[in-house]
Amino acid sequence: MQSKSEFTVQNAYPYNQASPLRWIVSHIWRYKALFLSTPFFYIFSHLMYAGAPVLIGRAADILIDGGTQKALLWASLGILAMLVADGISNLTGALCMENLAQKVERDAREELYTSLLGKSQVFHDRQRVGDIMARTTDDVRQLNVMISPGIFFIYETVMGFVIPITFMVGIKWQLLLVPGIFVLTYILSVREYVGRLNPVISRQHDEFGTMNAGLEESISGIVTVKASTQEAFERGKFRANAHKFRNSYVQQGRIEAGYLPMLLYGVAVGLTFLHALILYRQGSLEIGSIIAVMGLINVLRWPTFVSLFSLSLLQNGLASGRRILEIIKAETDLDENAGGHTSEVQGAIVFEDVNFAFGDNTVLQNISFSIQPGETVAIVGQTGGGKTTLTQLVNRTYDVTNGRILIDGVDVRDWNLTALRSQISKIEQDVFLFSRTIAENIAFGNPEATQEQIEQAAREAQAHDFIMSFTEGYQTKVGERGVTLSGGQRQRIALARAFLSNPRILILDDSTSAIDSATEDEIQKAIRRAQEGRTTLLITHRLSQIRWANHILVLDKGQLVASGSHEELLRTSMHYRRIFARYDMALPPLENLAQAV
Amino acid sequence: MGFILDGLEAEEYDRSYNDRQLVKRIAAYFRPECWRMVGVSVVILLSSVFSTLLPIYISRVIDDLDRNITDADLTTITIIVTALGILAWVFNAIRQWYSSEAVGNVVLRLREDAFDAILARDLSFYDTYPSGKIVSRVTSDSQAFADVVMLVMNLLSQLLLIVLLIGYLFLVSVEMTLITLALAPLIIGTALAFRKIARDTVTQSRRILAEVSTHVQETVSGIGVAKTFRQENAIYDEFQDVNKQSYRINLRRGYVFNGIFPILNILAGIGTAALVYFGGLNVRDGSLTAGDWYLFIQGLALFWFPLTGIASFWSQFQLGLAAGERVFALLDAESKVVQTGNIKLDTMRGEIRFEGLYFGYKESEEQVLEDFWLTIRPGETLALVGHTGSGKTSITKLIARFYEFQQGKILIDGHDIRSLDLDTFRAHLGIVTQTPFLFDGTVMENIRYGKSSATDVEVEAVARQVGGGDWIDSLPEGLQSPAGERGNNLSMGQRQLVVLARVLLQNPSILILDEATASIDPLTETLIQEGLEEVLKDRTSIVVAHRLSTIKNADRIIVLREGEIIEEGNHEALLKKGGHYAELYNTYFRHQSLEYMNIHPEDWFKSARATA
Repeated sequence: MQSKSEFTVQNAYPYNQASPLRWIVSHIWRYKALFLSTPFFYIFSHLMYAGAPVLIGRAADILIDGGTQKALLWASLGILAMLVADGISNLTGALCMENLAQKVERDAREELYTSLLGKSQVFHDRQRVGDIMARTTDDVRQLNVMISPGIFFIYETVMGFVIPITFMVGIKWQLLLVPGIFVLTYILSVREYVGRLNPVISRQHDEFGTMNAGLEESISGIVTVKASTQEAFERGKFRANAHKFRNSYVQQGRIEAGYLPMLLYGVAVGLTFLHALILYRQGSLEIGSIIAVMGLINVLRWPTFVSLFSLSLLQNGLASGRRILEIIKAETDLDENAGGHTSEVQGAIVFEDVNFAFGDNTVLQNISFSIQPGETVAIVGQTGGGKTTLTQLVNRTYDVTNGRILIDGVDVRDWNLTALRSQISKIEQDVFLFSRTIAENIAFGNPEATQEQIEQAAREAQAHDFIMSFTEGYQTKVGERGVTLSGGQRQRIALARAFLSNPRILILDDSTSAIDSATEDEIQKAIRRAQEGRTTLLITHRLSQIRWANHILVLDKGQLVASGSHEELLRTSMHYRRIFARYDMALPPLENLAQAV
Repeated sequence: MGFILDGLEAEEYDRSYNDRQLVKRIAAYFRPECWRMVGVSVVILLSSVFSTLLPIYISRVIDDLDRNITDADLTTITIIVTALGILAWVFNAIRQWYSSEAVGNVVLRLREDAFDAILARDLSFYDTYPSGKIVSRVTSDSQAFADVVMLVMNLLSQLLLIVLLIGYLFLVSVEMTLITLALAPLIIGTALAFRKIARDTVTQSRRILAEVSTHVQETVSGIGVAKTFRQENAIYDEFQDVNKQSYRINLRRGYVFNGIFPILNILAGIGTAALVYFGGLNVRDGSLTAGDWYLFIQGLALFWFPLTGIASFWSQFQLGLAAGERVFALLDAESKVVQTGNIKLDTMRGEIRFEGLYFGYKESEEQVLEDFWLTIRPGETLALVGHTGSGKTSITKLIARFYEFQQGKILIDGHDIRSLDLDTFRAHLGIVTQTPFLFDGTVMENIRYGKSSATDVEVEAVARQVGGGDWIDSLPEGLQSPAGERGNNLSMGQRQLVVLARVLLQNPSILILDEATASIDPLTETLIQEGLEEVLKDRTSIVVAHRLSTIKNADRIIVLREGEIIEEGNHEALLKKGGHYAELYNTYFRHQSLEYMNIHPEDWFKSARATA
């Protein structure tokens, strides 16, 4: 069971998440009628398939004993009927399996996706998008393949062995001897084979990855490579990787070449024939039966071949199940707190001795400050200094490790999550826009907004003009198949989004760069406008924004090393002075060095 | 599984090599593997023969059963049947053993050649081929190509098996053979029809998978936004639609794929029943022995499986050849930069002269530089400014000898750039690219990339010279911190500092600097500017400038428009002149000035009203 989630679906089917195996079984078990009915089709199909050689043997006896043409015709029709019945029931079984497999894929993906929506931002920050993608596509697919054809192959193997051998026993019980021994040695040798092959395959896989990554790197850095005349070095590196891959490729070929079960099978065919002949000589077997036995031993060839795949499919399926379940079961730290404090935010923010750590990695230490409603606070510091994290604590993207954060005097953890987040707007460093129209992107938080409201918001964000410069205006699609927007344009659309939702607190992670001054003018105006009448937390590289903030926090390695207004900091902080020392401006004399760290 | 499912993704492609050229190229790569290939061919032949012999032999034994069988007979029969099985296995093992060696070696050689080829290309090559494509040519296409050669050999062996079997069967009974063969068009026809349907479902299924991926990628990347606005429900509904559609399409695909084998089995069943009946009639009237009758029934199974393989052969063959052509095209691409001499300069003053230079990226395209003249003095810091496409970057790339020019001369310390040994020349040349590139290794290793012989102490000393070395202490493990893939572990600013240290260690006579445009936090920006000053000192530097502070400090500013120098001088003089430079300043640099920073917030809207 999941303890906490930020998103839940009504009436979700309860799956057993205790272990990967149980989880997969519970997914399959949801369609137990489908799952349980398929074996019957397979058993029937194999009875028919293995029955055909027996009937062929009967036909041979008819011929040798000089039976009538009518008997022969009936035998032939019998064979036809059996093989057609085999085909049809095999098909039905396969379709049932396929249906089951596709349903499980769909359900597993849905379950995984629902759980993803419920995870906290902490989780999503730690997880790479590519990783999650792999799990929702490849791993889920692997579950599908594990059922069809994986379990299908297992049925084929089991019944492909059991039924023909049973028929042989039916012809003469002594005939069990050779196939029996064959099956035993077969199982042992397959286990040994898989044990030898798998490590080589996974090593080869890794080596391919290394070679690819190295190559990619050399090519992307080709200017650096050429400029530093390091071609020989890169060549040596690539050759070494390519050689390693070649060696394990060849090694895999060699192991596969020595696939023992097929040899065992060849020997089993010879020995079965010998055994049948001995029995024939003793007079306890007809020629027709010999033909039947040889036909039956032929049926064993396919399961011998296919069982190899079924094993690895099963293993892969389980591994994928484990990876998916890992994500589903990952603990999430926050919940919706539906019964929490709800009211209109005024915008006073207080940090009291706030500490924050990702696991063992301390990010923020003893941060305390307070902001009045409507003030603008600029946060300055090197990348990795904890600026972004600090702002993320305010809207509970993360929760503090120690200390507390108050909004209008109420601890953020006591706020209803929806009430809190809907009144805090956050504009990220990389503004994310969905592949929809610009209008839809602006109205993302307020789907019922009118076109006038959207345009008004865009005007305030200085985005209207460039939006209208696109041929389709507000209906322009953003993203892959649509228009690509520059960082500055994305940021202004995000600002428009914020104007529309009219939050009381605005968090702006503003690290975009404008190369031209005209765009810079627009952005400056948009940000100024956005600050009016609301509390603003500003992470910015723009000196003019920092310079005019009501309050500036200087962070260094997670600690608040200085705070105050521009003029105060110029006098008191070495860090801050160094920034402006490069401009031809008169700096006030440095005072109170002790405070400047 | 059968070959019938392979190669469904084959597409038509344009041939750029004719058959003879292609065969020659292929043969050249397989020549060193000549003996292995001969060995593989022989064992394929032998294993075909032995696979055919087994059912034939058993059928003969069955015919002989009327006689009394002695112990000796039994021993012989057992030995022969078992030996046939073992030999078939041994031949197959030898085939796989040698063919994996042959393929492994050919692929390795192809990859090495391809890598050498791309390293030798000038940068115009990388402009035409995106890096992802080059990678897939070197890694995937080379493998696909070698595999197809093996595929051809396997197919030949299967065809041989069929031919041998049919030949023998004809000798036994023409009528029965014809009955057997009657099935062939049916099987091939079904297989081809199936592939046509399967191809469509595969395309659809691939498309829907891409849609699912896109949806997940987008929503996971944008989850922060969705959470802030509490829009999870809307996103979930959209996901449901895509997921259900994916289910429907994949189910259809699964039905098609699962259908083929049972249907082929039913066809084979019809054949078997027909052979049992008509063969039986022949046995009854004495024109066929019981053993031969058995042989025909068994032969059918040997026969129909390879037939399905033939149906898929052509598209797989095409895929492989296309892959081969892509690799060869990579090998054959010609480097346009050609050196005519190999003068090795031990020391360099760093004087650069452009004399009547003509340059365009492609011969057909418009010229970027026409009759271009410029002299850069040793030790001078030269800033290039101009709009995009004015030729700033082209000038630096020509000095680095990354591209070939069409006419005129570039002289380095008075030597024609074409007459220089490229490696020694570039050793004197430092290049800082616009996006700093770091390799996956430690910061130390990345700095040492500029001079592989440098000791740890030297590296450390140089690193401390950049921005006072403060940045090193902010790295988690100092200089030993891993930079990560493409330097991902470091911030953009830190990456720039590493690259500056790298070039400082190299200590080149000429420095080419394409300033980064990415915005950096003010503290790191300060360090970078301090570092830049260090790097630009005492050497000829050509800077594509984006920072106001850099142009202000430059000895000379060259103002470019459409490949022409229209103004030159220092910042103050040029600004006063009010020409193109003043315009550029207002477009690109004004917002970096102290005056801009000091505009009071209220004034933003006053001035806006004033201009409106």
